[in-house]
Amino acid sequence: MSTETENRFQTALKEIFSTSATRTVLSVFLGFVVGAIFMVFSNEDVLKAAQYFTARPMDTIAASWSAIADGYSALFRGAIYNYERADDPVAAFRPITETLRFAAPLIAAGLGIALGFRVGLFNIGGNGQLMFGVLWATWISTRVELPFGIHLVVAILMAILGAALLGALVGFLKARTGAHEVIVTIMLNYIAANLLTYFFREESLLRETGGGGTPKSDAPAITAQLPKLLGEDYTLHLGFALAIIAVVVYWWLMERSTIGYRFRMVGHNPHAARTAGINVERTYMYAMAASAAFVGIAAANQALGATSGLSPSVDAGIGFDGITVALLGGSTAPGVLMAGLLFGAFKAGSAPMQVMGLSPEVLGIVQGSIVLFIAAPPLVRAIFRLPKPQKTTVLKDLVKRSSKGEEK
Amino acid sequence: MKTSTKRALSGLAMTGAAALVLAGCAAAPAPEETEVPEVDYLACAVSDEGSWNDKSFNQSVYEGLEKANAELGVQISDAESASPDDFAPNLQAMIDASCDVTIAVGFNLVAAVNEAAAANPEANFVTVDGWSEGNANLKPINYAMNQSSYLAGYLAAAHSTTKVVGTYGGMQIPAVTDFMTGFYYGAMAWGADNGTDVTVVGWDPATEKGDFIGDFTPNSGTSKSIAAGQLAADADVIFPVGGDQFGAVSEAITEAGVAAVMIGVDKDISVTSPEYSQWMLTSVEKRMTNAVFDIIKDIAIDGNAFNGDTYLGTLENGGTALSPITNFSGDQAAIEAKLQELTDGIIAGDINPLG
Repeated sequence: MSTETENRFQTALKEIFSTSATRTVLSVFLGFVVGAIFMVFSNEDVLKAAQYFTARPMDTIAASWSAIADGYSALFRGAIYNYERADDPVAAFRPITETLRFAAPLIAAGLGIALGFRVGLFNIGGNGQLMFGVLWATWISTRVELPFGIHLVVAILMAILGAALLGALVGFLKARTGAHEVIVTIMLNYIAANLLTYFFREESLLRETGGGGTPKSDAPAITAQLPKLLGEDYTLHLGFALAIIAVVVYWWLMERSTIGYRFRMVGHNPHAARTAGINVERTYMYAMAASAAFVGIAAANQALGATSGLSPSVDAGIGFDGITVALLGGSTAPGVLMAGLLFGAFKAGSAPMQVMGLSPEVLGIVQGSIVLFIAAPPLVRAIFRLPKPQKTTVLKDLVKRSSKGEEK
Repeated sequence: MKTSTKRALSGLAMTGAAALVLAGCAAAPAPEETEVPEVDYLACAVSDEGSWNDKSFNQSVYEGLEKANAELGVQISDAESASPDDFAPNLQAMIDASCDVTIAVGFNLVAAVNEAAAANPEANFVTVDGWSEGNANLKPINYAMNQSSYLAGYLAAAHSTTKVVGTYGGMQIPAVTDFMTGFYYGAMAWGADNGTDVTVVGWDPATEKGDFIGDFTPNSGTSKSIAAGQLAADADVIFPVGGDQFGAVSEAITEAGVAAVMIGVDKDISVTSPEYSQWMLTSVEKRMTNAVFDIIKDIAIDGNAFNGDTYLGTLENGGTALSPITNFSGDQAAIEAKLQELTDGIIAGDINPLG
């Protein structure tokens, strides 16, 4: 990738993150609108009623309305509060705890990717780093015996260390050889995924004791499992607390610490940072390691939050979802926290939506649309080399457009 | 630029509107009369990783649900699992939706469904290819696939001119090797009956060593090279136990330029994928659609109480069977009579397909 295009994408990144809160909220709203449209047009009742739209238009409208209402109320029941089970408080409040549980790894991975963005790095390798962290954590949790308490701490640290090492390797290759981190991280995704599968398949390595040829690990030892936070009725575990700690650490690191200052300087303008005496190459390496370390917290969550054996699909795509979380959260600590919670709610709400007969793809479309609306204007400009507008906020643009009309 | 985009968009909108108007002109229907009365029974299913349209066991189960919905009038609901993270929440959603029975499809859900069954003793569950860890409200559906595979092995040896037959699996798990072991002993039985040496390549039940693809990816390159290797070892009947591998095997046969045939699994492949019928000898059917349908019917229509007893699909109850034989080289009526005799022997317990 040439320096020119690289600069353009860095500019695009900067623009994405200069978006206002209003624009983010608008994008979320628009995402839900797109989801509603999809729900309406994929609903059998609506399609049936649309065939005689001219004869009884109200049928189509009523069917559309009920499709949207059914869908989003199922999301609410699955993600916040299940009012249909109000008789049983445990069942009624379970959804919100599930949202938090699903949000935890998304927040942690989102922070990792966000850190990369702030330094001007695209870490597409979250999934590979996560799997590498899982590999180390699983080794500790299933193959090493340690006393209660210490075992868990060591396993968590190993997840973070394992992921961070893979991230540091990317930074090292970029610093030493100029290899672009996007390509290196994508390729490392394949390597890490297959390495994990290999370890899970080999009897002498991590394969389930007494298991067959299927790649699967043992369940983490009870001393290495993340303890449940709200008793046995809920599956919410310590992973969420780790994610919250990660948010605070991220905020301190990026906003208060010296290294964070260097990260941001390099992210703003690597040339100026170099002129100011910052070792840009070394900063890239540290940044990739730090980025992956946060992803490692997500790895700890996946590896140690389980109560049964892990399969090679333990990543659940969290490394990639982290990219959307970081983009939606504008790479700030509170933003990533909120974005992670939103996407965690989507994951928790997907099952009840499916029960209502909605395709599980709806929420993926909503999720993608939200980030598209946030990222599209600057990205589209970067790709098509359109001139940069005076203001970056969508609202002001809208006001300007509506007062002046469409022509420019 | 702007205007042309606008024009294009308005053109698109016009076409869309026209389509809507044209499509919307049909007359409003009279209130529908359903043929099958609705039954107040909700049957639900949670898939293994992958969709309901996997042409394999997820799909077989889902077709059972759809059949129950169409023929019995029971309500159905389902959730697909995109990753193992979804197993427990999907099962929980079924419990929250007050499903009368929830079917967990596949060996991978066995831990999650046992947990759900233990935590919700008032709800009922079925596990396909799994087992119950002492939960009375969890019914396992299992199959004695070795029985029908024994018949397939016998038939394969009878058909073969080289007297070498091959089999290979997706993964080395009991649900797969059960087929292969039955096939092995069936082929050996033909050899013993006819005083001829028969060789089975790709699986040896004594040492538990054999050829495995490593996953269930349909028609992978690995699958094809295993099939080619077995053909090169003179096998002229191939029995791939790993979902849809029939494209890989048929390609290997064509490229080797030999007159070999293959044996299908799970469904009657000659019917579901007619493009392969010229190479099919028979298929070893695992009739999950029927099992699911029968279990739902037993409770929802016949009013029997749910029980946690294992449903075992056998030759006797028709849970597993051979599909109609095609492309057989010898006297088909004679071999069919012989297979019927073997079937009776297995049902009576006189023949052990596992050795």
